[in-house]
Amino acid sequence: MSASASEAAKRLLPGSELCVHCGFCLQACPTYLALDDENDSPRGRIVLMKAIADGSISTTDTAALEHLDRCLGCRACETACPSGVPYGQLLEATRERLSPERPLPFVARAILWTFARHWALLVAMTGARVLRATGIAKVLSKLPGSSGFGMAMLHSTRRGVHNQPWTPRASGALGTVATLDGCVMEGLFSDVNRATERTLSENGYRLTHATGQRCCGALHAHTGDAATARDLARTNIAAFERSGAEFVAVNSAGCGSMLKEYGHLLHDDGAWHDRAVAFSAKVRDVSELLAVAGPVPGAAIGKRVTYDAPCHLMHGQRVVNPPLAVLGAIEGLNLVPLNDCEQCCGSAGIYNLIEPDVSDRVLAPKLANIAATNAQIVATGNPGCMMQIGAGLARTGSKTVARHPIELLDASYGRRARLGGSS
Amino acid sequence: METLRRIVGDRHVLTRSSELLVYENDALPGYHKRPSLVVLPGTADEVVAVVRALYAAGLQWVARGAGTGLSGGALADDVVLLGLHRLKKIISVDPIARLAVVEPGVVNANLTKAATPFGLHYAPDPSSQTACTIGGNVAENAGGPHCLKYGVTLNHVQAATVVLPDGEIVKLAVPADHEAALDLMGAFVGSEGCFGVALDVTVRLTPNPEGIRTMLADFSSMDDAARATSAIIAAGILPAALELMDQATIAAVEASVYAAGYPTDCAAVLLVEVDGPECGLDDDAAAIAALCRECGARDVRTARDATDRARLWQGRKKAFGAMGRVASHLAVQDAVVPRTRLAPILARIAEIGTRHGVHVCNVFHAGDGNLHPNVPYNADDPDENARVHSAMKEIMELCIAEGGTISGEHGVGFDKLPYMEKLFPGDSLDAMCRLRDAFDPLRRANPGKVVPSHACREWISAPGFGS
Repeated sequence: MSASASEAAKRLLPGSELCVHCGFCLQACPTYLALDDENDSPRGRIVLMKAIADGSISTTDTAALEHLDRCLGCRACETACPSGVPYGQLLEATRERLSPERPLPFVARAILWTFARHWALLVAMTGARVLRATGIAKVLSKLPGSSGFGMAMLHSTRRGVHNQPWTPRASGALGTVATLDGCVMEGLFSDVNRATERTLSENGYRLTHATGQRCCGALHAHTGDAATARDLARTNIAAFERSGAEFVAVNSAGCGSMLKEYGHLLHDDGAWHDRAVAFSAKVRDVSELLAVAGPVPGAAIGKRVTYDAPCHLMHGQRVVNPPLAVLGAIEGLNLVPLNDCEQCCGSAGIYNLIEPDVSDRVLAPKLANIAATNAQIVATGNPGCMMQIGAGLARTGSKTVARHPIELLDASYGRRARLGGSS
Repeated sequence: METLRRIVGDRHVLTRSSELLVYENDALPGYHKRPSLVVLPGTADEVVAVVRALYAAGLQWVARGAGTGLSGGALADDVVLLGLHRLKKIISVDPIARLAVVEPGVVNANLTKAATPFGLHYAPDPSSQTACTIGGNVAENAGGPHCLKYGVTLNHVQAATVVLPDGEIVKLAVPADHEAALDLMGAFVGSEGCFGVALDVTVRLTPNPEGIRTMLADFSSMDDAARATSAIIAAGILPAALELMDQATIAAVEASVYAAGYPTDCAAVLLVEVDGPECGLDDDAAAIAALCRECGARDVRTARDATDRARLWQGRKKAFGAMGRVASHLAVQDAVVPRTRLAPILARIAEIGTRHGVHVCNVFHAGDGNLHPNVPYNADDPDENARVHSAMKEIMELCIAEGGTISGEHGVGFDKLPYMEKLFPGDSLDAMCRLRDAFDPLRRANPGKVVPSHACREWISAPGFGS
């Protein structure tokens, strides 16, 4: 690489110059472990991204694009990198650069189009709930291949037994919180959203709602449609500003990671940048808010549980201990450690629908590790992970189910309320 | 190429130029050599078939593990790159005999993970242990912080099955004391991929010590830290590890995810660990703390628990990778000098750095006298590039003149080739060439590395030289 070419890479892909190619990221990368080729590793992809930025590889180089497409964007390499290479940002910038020249697969375009439109999302989620409620999703989940897997994901969101509502003590002493509804969370996991509201109230937060909020834009940013992501970001910033909330609580790790990065997403948008930074500073994963509050202890639920860290919580947001504090608030919870819990499950937004083969290879060791725990429940705080792991477990005939940590805490609080206990 | 595809499958033969670009360098980012193709066998049988096919086709090749080497040893300059990282099976762990048999692509830290349930570990612990492979460790005779007490890779390899460059499979083993046999195993360890490819390696596992004390001593001058190093060894204590890090290195580490709580306002820290039976361990630790204070340590603290210890070690071990915070490229040296000369040599190295206008960061195995001057720089700036290489040359010449050697654990590879003739007389180089010829008479494996070919009289006169 010539001097000018490297300078160009640094200018066009800021942060890429931090990589000294030490290789400490290799074993953190799920696709490197699954595919055994450095082209499918973080440092290898950085070489490719720099070469695309400086023009030494063409933007239509099929080999390079194949390897970049296969990246999950899990960002496990970021928490392994001693030099602090902002890998996720490099990937998004590269995908944005590539997007005008190459359309995404139809499935991806359809999903992105839907998520960017409120009415379309409502229609799609209603349709999904019908498929789920009628049992059609369950029947179709037996189909082979990715369509069957997609239906299994949908079926996995069904809750046979709903958490019973209970009345939290709402002191509101710790401040005002507006929650992010979330497209998939409100669409398919509304139980978890209600549980989130109850557990936050119980722990001293006053809830308010940010009307006019939309999709966080993460799926769009990850796939190179930064323009749509920025539009959605501006809408959300304005909506949450109007709510007057001190904190923005998120129970979907992928969305939370995106909201916390609005400052970067809008870094060259003069009028919005400062507002974005101020907004991002208020964003918390729900587990962070609960951990600050204690959390208030709950009653025993008598389950054997293991915890799988969502990548966008552990690597994207560097939130490691708060979810464990949430589970720790459940009296006597039998929490068994999960080997390689920091490894991606292969969900990665809509990756499992557009790269099913690699996704399956990444999911396989996760399922094996879960089986080894003999846990009844895998707790993980992200809708994509819940559905990916839930579907994987169901399709392998496992009795283990995937649940959000907040659902478990809520069940624990509900049980305590019914027992008439106090904390 | 069709033959190779048949052996390993289409996906594991890389020929497209952008894919080859990714395999252009190891962990020394300043050197780039593009392989003619990359072949990634997945089993020992496939490795043998590939080596035989390359032999039949008259092609040269370079073996590569994880590509974390620091001597350019795995660069393939328009020859075939044979990647071995897919061979990652731990074949057996025998806790009674304390032996493990592993494939060459097994990651160093994964071997220790597999041995942990038995209270054992694999002792050689290069800083890159979370990424580097046992095969690469064997090739380079890798070291690591704990090799001060436990010995380097050579001391932990018992046997290996090797495919020679002509495709012949041989079993090598360390001869028993009563055997009047050549130690070909010893010759193979550290042969830097010039003698063949290990298909499996039998390594010794070490019992975990009963007790460990890890101390961090900080100093207001490098000189004091270097003197403390000598004082500890002179007192007759053999620490498990004795590492030195300077201020510039500490600053990079403390800015990273591996921040270990090293004081950023000191000139240097020593990370000292003693281990073994609990009995007497606290006395050794107290003696070390006292010696450090006598030599001017501002503070000496002991790791509170296993988590604290792990944090202190993570900071040290990831320091090399944190250098990207200083500049985009990194030159690393690996000279070993007499420990008693550490203080004056470090002062001279600092002076050489200042004179050439380059930024020398030190993080090294002080107990072994194994220096690692790291120089972060921008290789794309021709002037800076030249200054760095002049400084490196001067540092190496200094270390040789002080009675040291050019590599402790990284290997000679491509990077240190120019210093071989400064260190060894012609007869020694010639003997090395003859040994290499005994394993690889047609010079197919790792061409152009380790021994400068023009120094070998027999090579120069041989037919085909220079091809």
